[in-house]
Amino acid sequence: MARLRVPIGILISSDGPYSVVSKSMLCGALLGIAEAQAEHRDLEIEPIIANPRGDNALYSTMAAEMLANGIRHVVGCYTSSSRKEIIPLFEKADALLWYPSHYEGFESSSNVVYTGAVANQHLLPLVEYLLSYAGPKAFCIGSNYIWAWENNRILREAIGPHGGTVVAERYFPVGCTEFGQAIDAILAARPSFVFNTLIGESSYQFLRDLRAACRMCGIDQAREIPVASCTLSEPELAAIGPDAVDGHITSSVYFSSLDTPENDRFVKAYQAQFPDGPVVSADAEATYLAVRLLARAVTEAGTDEACSVKRAVALRPITAPQGEVRVDAETMHASLTPRIACSTLDGGFTVLREATRPVPADPYLIRNSSRFGAVAIRPVLRVAS
Amino acid sequence: MTTHRLIQNFRRSQGLLWAGPDFNADVLERTLLKLGVSLRRVESVSASDLDPDRDIVFLDADQPINPAPLLLPGANLTAAPVIGIVGVEAPSRLKLLAEAGATAILRKPIQAATVYSALFLGVNNHRRLKSAETRLAIGDRKRRGRRFLIKAVVALVQTRGLSDDDAYAELRRESMRRRLDLEEFCESLFQVDSNFPVAWPAGLAILTSHDRGGSAHAQDTDAGGRDGGDDDDIHGSSGRPDQARSA
Repeated sequence: MARLRVPIGILISSDGPYSVVSKSMLCGALLGIAEAQAEHRDLEIEPIIANPRGDNALYSTMAAEMLANGIRHVVGCYTSSSRKEIIPLFEKADALLWYPSHYEGFESSSNVVYTGAVANQHLLPLVEYLLSYAGPKAFCIGSNYIWAWENNRILREAIGPHGGTVVAERYFPVGCTEFGQAIDAILAARPSFVFNTLIGESSYQFLRDLRAACRMCGIDQAREIPVASCTLSEPELAAIGPDAVDGHITSSVYFSSLDTPENDRFVKAYQAQFPDGPVVSADAEATYLAVRLLARAVTEAGTDEACSVKRAVALRPITAPQGEVRVDAETMHASLTPRIACSTLDGGFTVLREATRPVPADPYLIRNSSRFGAVAIRPVLRVAS
Repeated sequence: MTTHRLIQNFRRSQGLLWAGPDFNADVLERTLLKLGVSLRRVESVSASDLDPDRDIVFLDADQPINPAPLLLPGANLTAAPVIGIVGVEAPSRLKLLAEAGATAILRKPIQAATVYSALFLGVNNHRRLKSAETRLAIGDRKRRGRRFLIKAVVALVQTRGLSDDDAYAELRRESMRRRLDLEEFCESLFQVDSNFPVAWPAGLAILTSHDRGGSAHAQDTDAGGRDGGDDDDIHGSSGRPDQARSA
């Protein structure tokens, strides 16, 4: 039998404002390709790697070029804005984008396979945890794009019925590292927690500055004003630095510290292939998962034609480092296992709470939100810059 | 002002696809399913059968459809939200959607990514228009009733020697006591069996439908008023009562 040769585009920004996470995604993809290649002897994967450097226009150009060259499967994108930029290209070419990152939901393109978590798998479990262990008063700070806006809306609506409030929402351009005024406002408001939707360098700088400002005021930031997010991952902890690395609450479906045989094998294989880092992250695992699912589906379908691959990918679950994962044929989103963890001084996470089984994705929150949007549960202050 | 709550979760809603048999509903149906909305093809629609809290009509404007059945008799707004499906963007087709009260559109061929936006805008715009229409109707009713309020104020000024402010305050107080809209209350003062303003205020003898089914206190007050009433005096002091009502 002839080997099936499948070119796979890897569209990941290993440079630019969120390169720390993206580099681990690239490593996850490369590990996935190596392992899939070893497992599926009839499959020959040809990776074509492109680096859009965090520039949405480049995502569009590079994705168009890949599709024009006959590539039918592309693994990539981290930000929603980059994904939104290229989805029309995939719909036009009837190709598949394998999107390996957590995102805010409210999307279900039939030309995208979503292997990252959506709000009912990351944000809603986080809200439940914060209301129980931190308190009802939230201060939201985020990068000025859809990820932050939509997550803040969901947070606001989720905490409202439980007596929670959002005292302020502050938005900053992606890449911004000047947070003096926002931190003054946080210290003045003394929220129960800060909900952080900043990404990349902005997030690391904010965490460093907040910790330093709290120290100046004699405040134990991790205990008194904890910062919670759905994004912070292991390679980013290294980027934050030792002075502010610990005590941050993260909601995710994967942490490298998970104690399972499959994760143990995955982490060892990853470290062996990339001994100089970056360390394993949820995004690396989701990218690895996307590649493994893609390779298995192409092999089982016997073709890389999008429709057949989509049918094959939803046929049965896969055992991933995070546990069992199944792609829903209807929404093309994955069932994943929500977990809450706290960052530690050694640059890892301690899992505090985890779901007992994988949770199906509810991208439009039709099973996890009220019919009506919230009324009058608006922040006292909303500033976008 | 009433705060308008937006609907963002459409689970358990029902889409009614009013389109020709050649309309390919695959993408629409699949996408609606993800949003928790079922889709059923219909050959016609009757406004009286539509449930505004459940039904959403998807109207294919490329079909020769008469949108009149979407409207209840005398209404300006459709009984349920209407989302137009547009293939040919010609004025005649768009006019059909305007007449049908479409509050959002979907372009052909339907793209999955546009369906949630169309639902969100279509349903919430319809709710906003319905709320505005209700407020307009209340405003119209109050405007019509304003004539009776003016007549009642004038009658009290003329027969009781009150200032117009005091007359208004008394009328308002009495309408609130009876849990009646001020204009509605004033209109009731000029009914045929009323003895206003002679019995005003202690022995007011007006029996409104509200009072007939209302509290014992209100009924007692009304009974006392009826005893001392004189219809002829009322009508004599304020002219012909039916004049205002028929205005």
